Amino acid sequence: MTREITYVQAIAEAIDEELQRDEDVVLFGEDVEEFGGNFGETEGLYEKHGRDRVRNTPLSEIGIAGMALGAAVGGIRPVAELQFADFAATAGDEVFNQIPKQPYVSGGQIEAPLTIFAPSGAGIGAGAQHSQSVHSWLGNVPGWVVVTATTPYDAKGLFKSAIRDDNPVFFLPHKMLSETKGEVPEEEYTLPLGEAAVEEEGEDVTVVATQLMFHRAKEAAAQVDADVEIVNPRTFAPLDTETIAESVRKTGRLVVVDETVERYGTQGHIANEIVENDFFSLDAPPKTIGVKEIPIPLSPPLEQEALPSADRIADGIESLF
Amino acid sequence: MTQKVSVDDELARDFLEEMLRIDVFEEETKERFGEGEIPGFVHLSGGHEGSHVGMGAAMDDDDWLAVGGARLIGQYIAKGVPLPEIMAELYGRVGGSNEGHGGQMHVSDVDRRLYGHAATIGSGQNPAVGLGLAEEMKGTDNVAVTTIGDGGTSRGSFHTALVFAAYWDLPVVFVIENNEWAISTPAESLSPDRLSDYGIPHNMPTESIDGSDVEEVYHTVSEAIERARSGEGPTVIESRVVRLVPHFEGDKETYRDEEAYERAKEEKDPIENYRERLLENGVITEAELEDMVANIEAEVEEAVEFARESPEPEPEAAYEHVYKTPLYGQGDRR
Ligand SMILES: Cc1ncc(C[n+]2csc(CCOP(=O)(O)OP(=O)(O)O)c2C)c(N)n1
Repeated sequence: MTREITYVQAIAEAIDEELQRDEDVVLFGEDVEEFGGNFGETEGLYEKHGRDRVRNTPLSEIGIAGMALGAAVGGIRPVAELQFADFAATAGDEVFNQIPKQPYVSGGQIEAPLTIFAPSGAGIGAGAQHSQSVHSWLGNVPGWVVVTATTPYDAKGLFKSAIRDDNPVFFLPHKMLSETKGEVPEEEYTLPLGEAAVEEEGEDVTVVATQLMFHRAKEAAAQVDADVEIVNPRTFAPLDTETIAESVRKTGRLVVVDETVERYGTQGHIANEIVENDFFSLDAPPKTIGVKEIPIPLSPPLEQEALPSADRIADGIESLF
Repeated sequence: MTQKVSVDDELARDFLEEMLRIDVFEEETKERFGEGEIPGFVHLSGGHEGSHVGMGAAMDDDDWLAVGGARLIGQYIAKGVPLPEIMAELYGRVGGSNEGHGGQMHVSDVDRRLYGHAATIGSGQNPAVGLGLAEEMKGTDNVAVTTIGDGGTSRGSFHTALVFAAYWDLPVVFVIENNEWAISTPAESLSPDRLSDYGIPHNMPTESIDGSDVEEVYHTVSEAIERARSGEGPTVIESRVVRLVPHFEGDKETYRDEEAYERAKEEKDPIENYRERLLENGVITEAELEDMVANIEAEVEEAVEFARESPEPEPEAAYEHVYKTPLYGQGDRR
């Protein structure tokens, strides 16, 4: 049985069910209590689970991330929200040096089963400091499991797995997708971390895309005269290279589109994995499409210029034939 | 004038023994480092031993320690990590507490509730608050003690940790080991006279004490831990010590006034002072002291042997411990 719910409802349900399931799970962040989170992602949770389990914090990402680390080491499972993914930078040391490295430097003694989640991505005119996609920053530091969500189905199933995983997981919903609706099972379910999903099958070209770019890639696929296979990586670190490679072995062509900045971004890494290990499966050079080397501007036409459009993706696909 | 001894004889002898253990272990570390046996860099604790030991003794086995500042090894010892495991970790060997993945700045021992150290100074305090939160949520009366140097108190992360601990009245004891220097930057130039005053805006109890007196540290930290245990929230303690050693081995200390330095060595050495105090009060005899030192030297010798004999990690071990696999939902694919 399925029903249609929104992406943020899927997120709230995931947290709700995990709070219910495991008494070690605790949610904290700025304004997660009555306010219910900036996008409504924690609505109703405080009323249902109470102040011990759902906690407002003072305004400091350093405190939120650092406390999450200690709490996880101390044996509870924190689910910590940052209001925008960009703010991970204000807790730079916690995010880049402490959380992903403490388990490693301890020689595996320390476990940090925490989840940080933070809306990422551009499109709501929020300006350069509220619109970044940060999975390339995070994916560059071994130790983080980096997960994104493309549909309500993804959001719920992946978030629940993130909370249950024994690694630090950075979970990145996309703010433009907050109100999108999709089918989500009534029954409880989880989706595996570390595995990409072939969302649309096709014979001629593989397009790798998640979040908003996945939806734009679908539009692009409808515009072009080619049979497009779309692969959603879901987890960026560790990356399921195998599923992508398998798809390219079938189609012989690869387009990687993502909202991270092209320079040193996810696109180049994914393309390189194929070039280096599966070069002879390619019939054309891979195409990488992302945000050009600019911060995300505010004005809607400028902002849309910065993001890969369905047209740009379609052009990218056609350039391979 | 002879200072009295305020704890029972056995505890007093334990204090002295533990300080000597740090001293002998670190002297040996310095030599082994000088001989090129220990990689990286080495920060020694000279002058901090009373502070480390008083604090360690005030903690129960189940209380967490999150180490800060740059004087680390003495704190690992004071938390009860076995010497061979520490030494092997300094050597980067398999037998080290962290199997060689951590080294001097990252010794952890989760079973002994040593969280470890954030080598970016001042980043260990918020995790300590998280540890306090975890204990509180689990309904234990365990506390988290976290140390920091005077230098580290300038970081926003330290102040954030105070805000968060106060926000929920968490069982955390902040100990600032003020040894007057952050490498070459003097603590004197920081605005508060007592660095524990940083706790005042948060309405926390604050204390500023002579951290080179092991008993004073023991009593003050014990009281703070007691308060935290009984739900009365966090405390900030400034433990004033003198750094009687270079910042790290190899630091030429060109920034220090030699006369004041020599005087500090005379007057503020916690081990020398305590040794005399116990001798004068008849708590220990010269002969017992000699035995004590001889035993410690043998222990340290064994620790070095253990480290030397412990194998280097296989190169493939570099890939261990990055992720716990399989990831959730993956079955046992990897
Ligand atoms: C965030 C950060 N900045 C700078 C350093 C380099 N550093 C290492 S120790 C140190 C001085 C620390 O002084 P203090 O906090 O007083 O500790 P102490 O050396 O006195 O034990 C500095 C600047 C560091 N490790 N981390």
